[in-house]
This record gives sequence, structure tokens and C-alpha cells, in this order.
Amino acid sequence: MNHKELIATMAAKMNAPKATVENLLEITISTCTELLAEGNTIGFQSFGNFEVRKKEERLSVHPATQVRTLIPPKLAVNFKQSNILKEKLKELTHNE
Amino acid sequence: MSKDKISSQEIIDLVATKASVSKRAAEEFLKAMIATIEEALLSGELVKIKNFGTFKLQWNEPRKSVNVNTGEEIIIDGYYKVTFSPETSLKDLVNEPFAHLEAVQLDGENNLNVSEQQELEALDPLRIFTEQATEIKDILSEIQALSSNVTPHETENPILNEVEVIPDETKTKEKEVILDEITIEEKEHFLPIETTQEFIKKEEIAIQSVVHEVDVEPLQQEVKKPKSKHKARLFVLLIILLAGGVATGLYFSSSTVKELTDSTFIPLKMKILKVSEKISVTDMVNTISGWISPETQKPPLTVTIVIPKDTTAIDTVVNQQPIDSLQLLFDSPRVYSGYLGSERINHGSRLTLFAKRYYGNKLFWVYIYEANKDRIKNPNQIPEGTLIKIPKLDKRLIDSNNSRCIQKAIELHDIYVK
Repeated sequence: MNHKELIATMAAKMNAPKATVENLLEITISTCTELLAEGNTIGFQSFGNFEVRKKEERLSVHPATQVRTLIPPKLAVNFKQSNILKEKLKELTHNE
Repeated sequence: MSKDKISSQEIIDLVATKASVSKRAAEEFLKAMIATIEEALLSGELVKIKNFGTFKLQWNEPRKSVNVNTGEEIIIDGYYKVTFSPETSLKDLVNEPFAHLEAVQLDGENNLNVSEQQELEALDPLRIFTEQATEIKDILSEIQALSSNVTPHETENPILNEVEVIPDETKTKEKEVILDEITIEEKEHFLPIETTQEFIKKEEIAIQSVVHEVDVEPLQQEVKKPKSKHKARLFVLLIILLAGGVATGLYFSSSTVKELTDSTFIPLKMKILKVSEKISVTDMVNTISGWISPETQKPPLTVTIVIPKDTTAIDTVVNQQPIDSLQLLFDSPRVYSGYLGSERINHGSRLTLFAKRYYGNKLFWVYIYEANKDRIKNPNQIPEGTLIKIPKLDKRLIDSNNSRCIQKAIELHDIYVK
């Protein structure tokens, strides 16, 4: 499901025109992005947490060439699902 | 982290004010959004949101584990997990504080890494030092061989002695006059030095006579006769020793020059001898007049006025060496007014690299450091983002082909990097 499909589904669910949904979604996403950029943690009840985590610097060794590279530290967005979502996912059966 | 956790309620409030819709509508929207995403995920789809990221389901295979308490083997069931991979725009935005950092290759077979290069840089001056040390050893042994002959000392002494005397007199300006008198006596002793021990004996007698005169002075009453004699002798001996030491030192420093210009040097020395002789005579007159006059503090003052003449005489000798315009350039304090440009320190930038780029030799980084001393506390650890200016330098100062320029840069390097 891509961005457009998401908007379409949501519009159908809310009985609202696609344009308003798109606008709202854009604002929501930009708000979340700004908050994350400031280093905040965002928690959506029943869905999960968005968190900024610091990945420490590390030494990586290229297995073939043995070139050692120092990877600098970085900040990354991390998503952790809530327990409610986890329980729901447990009902899902693996079929492959 | 400005806050522990921002709840969905806060997001709703923010969205409501931004989009100028009611909170209820915003809440409804957010709930719908989360529900839609959830439903899509539960149906096995992945959800992509523009400018944000992708939600995906990940299947974790069942695996064996051990109960830590009982030691029983247990099987953890396979499960689905929602993963979120942020888009590059979000990644970059969040990683803003560390965005300037880049991965650094530490070592490889093909290319030298940074730390190794630094080691090489550190080794270079060390090698030069060991070479210099051996040279100095050779020269010292030469001097020892020469010192058995008294002649070089004699020629050098007049200059040295005056150099010696300057600090003495400035120090003892307001102290007892005896000291000054003796130092002046000393000068007299060294100037016509062609003789050695016999002359010293004569000298001592002269000093004794002087001491007699001093004792007559009302201001010197505290000093007793025999003691002052003894002191004077000791002092003379001490100064002779000191002068000898300095003579060897100066001889060592000028020995190479001397070898080259030995023939031209002799007349110069003669001149100096004459000049210093004259000065010593005037000194004597001054001091004697000082003894006669009731104000005892005056003689040393007059002496200090006379002495600069001697130093200028020495200077003229030194300046006849052709290299000394450079030496003057080295010694004069460097003023940085013009700038070639400015550089911002990034991860991995080094002053040596800038020096290599702007001046053609990494050794001249010291001048960049000097020009930016107010901004750089430690040249080895410059905080990233520091803006440094690359000074415009005299071309003679950064001549890579001139060993003296290199030498000077290394000297400065040693001063700044301890």
C-alpha cells in the first residue's frame, strides 16, 4: 500500500474528500518529523513508539579486504510496536 | 530529548492548530490513520508514507532457547513484527547533529591511513634530531681538542666577557660597588689576555689595591678588609671559569663560520680588541671617578651606558654573515595581516594538509596555527566547525628548498607540540 492508496482508503473510511485527508496526513507527518528531528519520542497508543536512538561509533572490518573502517556515530529513528499491536500480530498465521 | 514521550494527544493538538481544524476532527483523522495502517499491515501489506517511511511486517522464525532458571529447552514461536524503515529525508533530518561525520578508513594494504601518516611526520623531525646530535658530538670533541691550545679562547674572550658583564651590572646596579668594580677589573684582565697566570697574579694585586681604595670609602665600611680580599679572589676565579665556559660555547656556535672566514675574521677581532680596550679604559676612569665622588651608585650606571657599544660591535660581526636577513625574519615577531583564504575544520581536516595545499609543505602549518592562536587551543584537537584563516606569508619564510626555513618550522613545531 503506497501513499495514494493509503489516502484513498482513509478517505473512504472517514467519508471525507481525498484532498482534506491528504492535507491532514501531510501536516501530521511533518509534525512527527519535526518532533523526531528535535530528538523527541512519539508514542501512538495501541500502535507503537517512534524513538530517536544514538548508534555508537564502531569499527567495521571488510571481510574480504580486511580494510578497517571507523563508522561514525549516528542518530536513527527506531520504531517499536506496542504490546497491543504485538498481540494482534500473534493471531496472524505464517503462511509461506 | 526535550521531553520523555509525546503522546498521541499532543500530536492531535498540534495537528489541530496547524491545520486549523477542530481537535475532534484531528483525533478522528489520527485514529483512522493508525487503524488503516494496522489493517493494511495485518492483511500482510506494507505501508508506505511519503516523506516518512515504510511500515513492514517481518517474520521472525521460531527458535530454540534455554530457560535461564530451570535450564529447560524452550521453543520461542515464530512471530510477526512491525518494522519501520525511515526514508532518507527523515534519516538525514534526524541525523543532523552528526551529519558532518564521515567514515574513516583506518588501515589498508594499499593506502596509508591517517594515523600512520602522522607517525611518519613525527618520525621525520626525530631523525633530524639524531643527525644533529651526532654533529654536535663531533663538534664538541673538536672543541675539546682545541681547548688545550689557549689561543682561540683569548681571541674570543673580549667579546664574551662583555656579554657576561651586562647582566651582572644590571643586576647589581644598586648593590655594593665592589662587585661592579671587580667585574670591570675582570674585563681589564681579559682584554690583553696574551699572558695567563702571571697576568692573573698581577691582576689580583691590582684588585687588592682597588679593595684598599674601596675600604677607604665611607659607604663601604661594613665590608671588612680581609673578607673583601678573599671574596674578590674567589669572585675573580669564578668569573674566569664562567668566561671560559661561555667562550667554549660561543666558539662552538661560531666554529663553522670561523673555519670559513678565518682569514677575514682576524682583523675584525683585532678591531674588537681595540674597541673593548678603549672601553675598558674609559670604564676604569669612570669607576675611579666614582670612587672619588661620594655617590657610589653612579659608576655602574655609566658602565651600563658604555656597554651597548660592545654589543653593537659584536652585532656587526654577526651581521656580516650572509644568511642573517633570514635570521632577522625568523626572529622578528610575525604579524599576520593578509589572508589567502579561510577554511572550516571538518572531520579529517588538518592544519598540515592546509599548509601543504597553500604553502607546498606541511611543516609550515605552524604559521597557520600562529595566525589562529586565538581560536585554536590545542593544534592537535581543533573542534570541528572552527573557521581558520590561512595567513599570507613572506615567500622567504616558506621556502621549501631552504633548509633553514624547514629548520625554523621544525623548531616552532617542537614548541607548539609538546
